[in-house]
Amino acid sequence: MNIINLISQFAPELILTIAALAIMIIGLGLEAKEKRVLGYIAALSLVAASLIVILRGAGYVQLEGIIADSLTIDPMSQFFKLTFLLVSLIVVIASIKEFDNHSNQDEYYTLILLGTIGMMVVASAIDIVTMFIGFELASLSTYALAGFNKKDAASMEAAVKYFIVGALSSTLLLFGLSYLYGMSGGLTNIAEIAEFFSTNPGVIQSPIGIMALMLIIAGFGFKMALVPFHMWAPDTYQGSPTVISALLAAGSKKMAFVAAFRVLLIAMIAIKVDLALVFALLAILTMTIGNVVAVSQRSIKRMLAYSSVAQAGYISLVFVVMSPEALTGGILYVMSHAFMKTGAFIAVAALGYVLLKENSNAKDVDHLDRFAGLGKRSPFLAFSVMVFLFALAGIPPTAGFVSKFYLFLAVLKGGFLGLVIIAILNSALSLYYYARVVKYMYVLPPESSEKMKLPIAYTIAILLALIGVLAIGIVPEPFVNWAADAANVIGL
Amino acid sequence: MNVLSLILFIPLIGAAITLFTKSREQARIVALVSSAIPLILTVMAYLEFNQGLAFLKFQFVEKIPGISSLGINYYLGVDGISMPLILLNAILCPLTVIYAWGESKQSNQFFALILILQAGVFGVFMSLDFFLFYIFWELTLLPLYFLISIWGGPNKDYAAIKFFIYTHVASLVMLLGIFALYFSTNVGTFEIPVLLQAFSDIASPEMRAAIFLALFFGFLVKMPTVPFHTWLPDAHVEAPTAGSVLLAGVLLKMGGYGLFRVLLPMIDGLGPYRSDIITLMAVLAVVSILYATFLALAQKDLKKMVAYSSVAHMGYVMLGAAALNFMSVSGAMFQQFSHGLITAVLFMSVGVIQHSAHTRIIGDLGGLAHKMPKLTFLMMGGFLASLGLPAMSGFVAEFMVLTGSYVNPDMQIFVILAMLGIVPTAGYHLWAMQRSMFGSFNEKLGDLHDLAFYEMMPMAILVLLIILFGVYPGPVINIFEAAGKIIPGVI
Repeated sequence: MNIINLISQFAPELILTIAALAIMIIGLGLEAKEKRVLGYIAALSLVAASLIVILRGAGYVQLEGIIADSLTIDPMSQFFKLTFLLVSLIVVIASIKEFDNHSNQDEYYTLILLGTIGMMVVASAIDIVTMFIGFELASLSTYALAGFNKKDAASMEAAVKYFIVGALSSTLLLFGLSYLYGMSGGLTNIAEIAEFFSTNPGVIQSPIGIMALMLIIAGFGFKMALVPFHMWAPDTYQGSPTVISALLAAGSKKMAFVAAFRVLLIAMIAIKVDLALVFALLAILTMTIGNVVAVSQRSIKRMLAYSSVAQAGYISLVFVVMSPEALTGGILYVMSHAFMKTGAFIAVAALGYVLLKENSNAKDVDHLDRFAGLGKRSPFLAFSVMVFLFALAGIPPTAGFVSKFYLFLAVLKGGFLGLVIIAILNSALSLYYYARVVKYMYVLPPESSEKMKLPIAYTIAILLALIGVLAIGIVPEPFVNWAADAANVIGL
Repeated sequence: MNVLSLILFIPLIGAAITLFTKSREQARIVALVSSAIPLILTVMAYLEFNQGLAFLKFQFVEKIPGISSLGINYYLGVDGISMPLILLNAILCPLTVIYAWGESKQSNQFFALILILQAGVFGVFMSLDFFLFYIFWELTLLPLYFLISIWGGPNKDYAAIKFFIYTHVASLVMLLGIFALYFSTNVGTFEIPVLLQAFSDIASPEMRAAIFLALFFGFLVKMPTVPFHTWLPDAHVEAPTAGSVLLAGVLLKMGGYGLFRVLLPMIDGLGPYRSDIITLMAVLAVVSILYATFLALAQKDLKKMVAYSSVAHMGYVMLGAAALNFMSVSGAMFQQFSHGLITAVLFMSVGVIQHSAHTRIIGDLGGLAHKMPKLTFLMMGGFLASLGLPAMSGFVAEFMVLTGSYVNPDMQIFVILAMLGIVPTAGYHLWAMQRSMFGSFNEKLGDLHDLAFYEMMPMAILVLLIILFGVYPGPVINIFEAAGKIIPGVI
């Protein structure tokens, strides 16, 4: 395989890199009000990259040369790359209006693209060092994005919290990984590490080995926002600019899941340490606390943040069951959740934008009361919010239902009836707070009877997410098959 | 496209169009057309439906692969159990649209929701794949939730959310049962007939009983049966009339349908738990009949009384199913059909009273017959049918259930107990009629006007149908009998 060929395999990442650099350079010569064009460039590059990933499909590519040890192209990486690219695309399209006339748009779009590249690297990484670098690239970009509204105290608080917790969790993760590196005698490739430990089980089952695993679980736990490592998530999602909350919840949090699927699952298979109980506890705590706390939230962003915590609980059932079907369900869930959550956050952002446009002194634009009568003021926005929320609750015919169905089915097949019952009860509880928003939108009278004018950029972004949610819900077959192919990569 | 798919999707397409109509005029016409076309198609299908084959195989089958790795298909078909219920749904929806002709509040959304509800119910009765079945089962929740919470009465929030959560939890339990059935049988498909056939092969009898009970719970809440009926009176009292008509007329029938389609064929596979579970069903049935009847007797609100009468009537469905005699089972199926027609008349009458007298409290009414003779006439028809007057469809159904069940020696005691409810049933119907419609007119009610044409027409059609099927139940009951005979386990 020659070098040109090798490079072409990573065309999506390279396109984004070139676009990111181009945006930075072009931005230097533009007035703030002309900078909207940068958003178009970013969106175009994301569209191009997504198309390449889609056209290449869910195949394996045999890589050679120096890259072959650290990066891979397989159905799993492709699946997650597509998820990240689409999430970023939706976020960028919405941002074109959200940050119109903002003077720092060049940095903004560059950071989003760099963050996306980082997530894509994590999706393909089969080497712990490469993975960590991808992680840091994505994290550093999103730290800055979370604090992008630098005059807003809440946004600053969000960024600082996110940064401190993120840095701490990275260190924990790195510390844990370094033990693996040391104990295996200097291996960094995940498959090789796993093989080493399965032939020398004594090494990892020593106290130090267990501690290393615990550190890694804690590191990933923070990034996936599993209870008790979740405290940063609500503050960060609530304080960040809403479109960035979408990126954080649907993109960078999901990145942690890919990494955990690759590292933890492979490691746990090889090591044969039974962590089912630990993960079962984490999953139960995460979904229950996420849902219970979400019930009392009045800020919709905060409610979505807690719902995101709860959803992470469902996905982490994969680590308990460790079967190919469960992993398929988990992977499918990640993509579905990406669409539902991005859509929901973008819709909240759109509402906030319109309300601030109507009255620039408006406060708490994501408060539940602001949703009153939305069904009359903007039927499209209200309908989309309803679809996203019901999808999160798992009502058919949406992506949320299909992925929950598949995942819970797999958990039950694994013989964990109790877990399924708890998950289903949680799912029923979650319906209460989702339905409450719907009630506000359609039942209560609006604050003003004027029709809302939704900017076209938001409409497109919401429409994309809507298509994703309904496509997976109504025609699940291709998505399920791709997710099943992706799950085969891990070889459970 | 298969005729079933057309019946299923035309209301959905109609709903989408209705949503975008600009005026009430357009909305209601589109809604009427898109609910009338399924009626025409259903009648055509009903005539084409081969009664001789009603119990042998599914007809009008359509099968398109869905998620092949799990064995999920888009699989539709009808047999004798479902065909008449589809007819019931097809009849009730256009009549409801006509009845609600005057609805002026957000009428495009209102009619769209009715159409979605109709499609969901069609889907439940047609699906032969559990995945699809569950999707449509859940699809019926949302429209009714909105119908209650937007067009409902003063306490609508509470009623809507209670309805939603209560029935959703029950659905989830049912889903759990479906999962368990899928895994324990290990046939790798969600097709209902295949799964039911494989049910008795499950090794552990405890597992079989657990699956049965999980599914049973889902259907019990929907029917509803005492003690899981508490959401129903709240939902009915707050729902707009059209919502109540469809809720009692067709939505509750989904629970009964589940009983015949899914549970009865499983009963013989229950092994050591068979007799206990049958007794449980019979006890729940009798408790529903008696308890709900006495509750109805005590109600001050006319609509609440009608709601409780629904619970009692659905008790007969359960009793007939538990007796496992072909006459009682087909009687129970016919009871579903007949109750759908009767209760629609009752709720429509109550709706008219509420609309023109602005109260439903029986004590505040009185002598309405002087001002509203047409209503009184049609309402009397509905009430007499509901209390089981011969020559009306309710009598045929309940007679079949009671005599059929009495043939089963284990059921005799339950039949005798259930018959204790007959007199109070007649009592509350007549008493309510007498206090609200007859006697001297309560002048405080002011000037009342009688039925509008669009209210009278659907009620008159329903009363005619009730009498028609009471005198000549053949067209429907033959199909039910044929279907009832062949359900495994029914003698």
